[in-house]
Amino acid sequence: MIDSSLRWVDDRLGIAKGGRTFLDKIFPDHWSFMLGEIALYSFVVLLATGVFLSLYYIPSAHEVVYHGSYIPLRGQRVSEAYSSSVGLSFDVKSGLLMRQAHHWAADIFLGSIAVHMARVFFTGAFRKPREFNWIVGVTMLILGIVNGFLGYSLPDDLVSGTGIRIAYSIIESIPLVGSYLGYFLFGGNYPGNGVIIPRFYILHVLIVPLLILGLLAAHLGLLVKQKHTQFKGKGKTEHNVVGSPMFPTFIAKTTGFLFMVSAVIFLLGGLAQINPIWQFGQYEPYQISYAVQPDWYMGWLDGALRIMPSWEWVGWGHTIPLEVFLPAVIFPGIVFNIFIIWPFIETRHTKDLAYHNLLDRPRDRPKRTSAGAAMLTMLFMTFFASSTDVMANFFEIPLNWVLWFFRFAVVIAPIIAYVLTYKICNEMRAAEGVGKRKRALIVSRSSTGEYSTVESEPRPGDGVEELEAIPVPTYIDLVPPELATGEGVRRVMR
Amino acid sequence: MLKTRYLAPVALVGAVGIVGVLAFSPGAVTAGATPNAVSAPTTTLPQLTTTATTATPIGQPSVPSASGVLKYNAPSNQTGLFYVELPKAFEAPGQALFSANCSSCHGPEALGTTRAPNLQGLGAGTIDFWVSTGRMPLANSSIQATRKPPRFNRLQTLEIAAWVQSLTPGEGVPVPVVNTNQADLEAGNTLFTLNCAACHTITGAGDALTDGAYAPSLHLATTQQVVEAIRSGPGNMPHFSQGNITNTEARDIAAYVDGVIQHPSDRGGFGLGGIGPVGEGFVGLLLGVGVLMLVCFWIGDRT
Amino acid sequence: MSDESPHLEGPLPPAALDDAHLQPYARHPEGAQAVAAVAMIIGFIGFIGFGVAYWIGDNTQWEAITLGVGLLALGFGATAWGKYLMPQGPFVEERHAFHSTEAERDAMTAAITERGGMVVKRRKLLGGLFLLGSTAMGVVLLFPLIRSLGPKPGDTLFKTNWKKNSQLVTVDGRAVTANDLDVGGVLTVFPKGFEGSSPDQVILIRLAQLGPFDPPYPIAPPGHTAWGVQGYVAYSKMCTHLGCPVGLYQEQTQQLVCPCHQSIFNVNAGAVPEFGPAPRPLPQLPLTVDSAGFLRSQGGFNQAVGPGFWERP
Repeated sequence: MIDSSLRWVDDRLGIAKGGRTFLDKIFPDHWSFMLGEIALYSFVVLLATGVFLSLYYIPSAHEVVYHGSYIPLRGQRVSEAYSSSVGLSFDVKSGLLMRQAHHWAADIFLGSIAVHMARVFFTGAFRKPREFNWIVGVTMLILGIVNGFLGYSLPDDLVSGTGIRIAYSIIESIPLVGSYLGYFLFGGNYPGNGVIIPRFYILHVLIVPLLILGLLAAHLGLLVKQKHTQFKGKGKTEHNVVGSPMFPTFIAKTTGFLFMVSAVIFLLGGLAQINPIWQFGQYEPYQISYAVQPDWYMGWLDGALRIMPSWEWVGWGHTIPLEVFLPAVIFPGIVFNIFIIWPFIETRHTKDLAYHNLLDRPRDRPKRTSAGAAMLTMLFMTFFASSTDVMANFFEIPLNWVLWFFRFAVVIAPIIAYVLTYKICNEMRAAEGVGKRKRALIVSRSSTGEYSTVESEPRPGDGVEELEAIPVPTYIDLVPPELATGEGVRRVMR
Repeated sequence: MLKTRYLAPVALVGAVGIVGVLAFSPGAVTAGATPNAVSAPTTTLPQLTTTATTATPIGQPSVPSASGVLKYNAPSNQTGLFYVELPKAFEAPGQALFSANCSSCHGPEALGTTRAPNLQGLGAGTIDFWVSTGRMPLANSSIQATRKPPRFNRLQTLEIAAWVQSLTPGEGVPVPVVNTNQADLEAGNTLFTLNCAACHTITGAGDALTDGAYAPSLHLATTQQVVEAIRSGPGNMPHFSQGNITNTEARDIAAYVDGVIQHPSDRGGFGLGGIGPVGEGFVGLLLGVGVLMLVCFWIGDRT
Repeated sequence: MSDESPHLEGPLPPAALDDAHLQPYARHPEGAQAVAAVAMIIGFIGFIGFGVAYWIGDNTQWEAITLGVGLLALGFGATAWGKYLMPQGPFVEERHAFHSTEAERDAMTAAITERGGMVVKRRKLLGGLFLLGSTAMGVVLLFPLIRSLGPKPGDTLFKTNWKKNSQLVTVDGRAVTANDLDVGGVLTVFPKGFEGSSPDQVILIRLAQLGPFDPPYPIAPPGHTAWGVQGYVAYSKMCTHLGCPVGLYQEQTQQLVCPCHQSIFNVNAGAVPEFGPAPRPLPQLPLTVDSAGFLRSQGGFNQAVGPGFWERP
């Protein structure tokens, strides 16, 4: 029956040849190649839970009186956005589970992009011919961060509303056009005429997800066309891919993984509270809470804003608030641009124009690895700098000390990281058999008194014997061997 | 299936997870709270949600529990908050306690020395706040006194307060008696957000101020202590007089702290310390992404 | 990387069923199957559990546990099937050079340059005019996208609703008198009629208990002593860094701290920033007391409130 249906479809679409190639496609098995899948599947959960939420959330700043079941808010005038978000959390069945799963999925989506990007960077997978894919990936990271910010600002609660105020001021700080852009986007002087919530909404549920989906299709399409990279090893060359076939092995494993990623997200979504907006209350621009941080993927920007000294340029009748413009506009601009053009920076430096389908071990490229470690360290420093007040409180040290520490750390720590990483890479390359279990030396003494050593046999678990890789068989002889006649092979006819 | 290659990554994620859970559990993140702090007098757990559309009263009257003071009947006036004058009989034992425990720093007439401030004119309510929260007697001179188990029982505390008040009768903040039965939680919510959240955070977790000072967590405060603090403005806290926060409003704030801040609706699960994205990022990255990376480690190969 | 794309030279011989590559990875396939089967059964039960949890109540934790366990177990079973019971491989496929041959590339370049060049060179005028028209279209289509979004700032960033004799009221509309605050008291106020308006938010602090005939409380520059009254001082509550409400008043150290990024302002000296990223002092609101004892403003602010922007002199 499969045969006849396939023929029917192929008559019309011609999919059999490409389909077969697709099913035979090989996926290398290294665990670090699955990090991108965490991102992909958490995005799937985002879309699914997002659809659910969009059926209840009301994107309006129009004020209503809250009449839901959370008593401390009863009778308060709140925006419909806030009211519907609290309503989702208390008065819609499984609404809170979906809301929290959506938020956890966003955190995990961006976290897994970060580790995936690190893997791609440190193994040099962005080199020719994969520069396009790297740029597509970085763009998705930027869009993901933006969409996360837009998303958690939708409930119009006290904590995220503070973030919107900060975003307005950042836009305002842009020289020449800042005040215009802010007025345009918000519909007036902050908080604007209420149009920002519906604008954030349509950006968050339609425009940015469409962009991400398009880029995702390009990302996966490039992956199919250029095939996956792989680590060096037995039987692996620049001209082949060794691993498991798409069907049935990879599909089974990846479907299972999709379920497991969803499981972790939903378990967090119901067991670990995230963004309890009912505790925060409706946003009012004259109210504020302490210990307010943005979600983790914006933390590096908030930290940069905190540690920046208060340098404001005033002259010739104008002001450029450098204490805002530099950390919030220029700094991320530089960082993202470095990310995007890195493949070309590296080609310029190494003059290496060859195709690369085999991956580097990070230690084999000490300069790249150290540069990456330094960048990561700097981003970590700005990230931790976002929680200066919480850290001062938790560790019981004065706030001012914490701030000064980070002002120096953000410059000094990356330098230390670069030097340390460089040295460690070189050490690891110089040492034989680093990371592998050493074989014992059996010392024996001859009758004349000489000592001699001989290496022992490897332990049974070490040195896994791998089979030679074969192409995916076109046909499998499903006749068991004991029934085969021995003169040749019979093909099973259906 | 269980190979030694899983040992290091599982141990790493597990250790980080345990540290994170301990760090962000409710007791650990509250500012200034010591492990042995006395918990607030228990009220029945208030119901924070209901399907009825009429507000239901919550909480129980918070009256001083020491014997002798219970002669003051449960208040029946509208504001739910009134101030008491402590009985004269408290003053003599109060003086004795004061000279034995407090006069070495505050002086025999509570006029203050180089080590400690003048207490005259502050009122019995102020003294009651500092002593009943255990901040006084001071354990060691640091930037800010910390809440700790009170040295004196309720009766002794009120005796000391009565004596100090008697030095300047009528001045300062008297001891309040708070009845939250008719409190308006919604008003308390609004007032708390506007007046208190900027220092104590919107969830009452507390946070650091400048130069080593901090706004403490509100998770252990009684309604009486809340009103005393509002009126007397201890340390860096502003003084909110009746023209600023009326008695009714103070009562509503106290009810909100008692009912909602101390018993938040953590409907979504484990509260992660109530400090927002810092705890959430920790859990999401280290537990969420970390566990999933372990799963990748299991599914994939090392080569 | 070879330039030729090798093709299959006819079909490969069928693989034998006992080929090592087709065997499961597990050393004890029956055991592995049992484990995967148990996992899938747990998954099934989990999903049924979620259905039950959904219908009988709305406990988020139970919904999460049942759904999570269901997904985790079923996923584990499927993954275990794929990893331990399916053909272990490894399999290989060749990478074929996907770039085109030199001849193909030349032909493509020629298609663009020769045919295109032929046409455009002959009709330079048309090409130029089309380009001109398209550019104009591109530019003007941006106008509705950007300009229609909102109003121009004009000078509205420099104005608030604080005028001469505006009455100070709380967010509930209650008028503030000179007796309302104790020393060390702090209150958020607005001009009457504009309660809750963001640019107008002002923080009122009482620094001293002074009467109408006492000398004024000294406020050091850049603050103005004459703008305080009876020990009161008022500053714009909008932080000059990024606009957060500066609601944290430290009474003992006489500092206003912005909770967002910990800028610290000296209340006794015109809210000048002492630490942190804020660049300018909080604008001070000049105060006065009217004959009935109500606090009023002498006038508006003398500068734009809030964060810096290009047009700010």
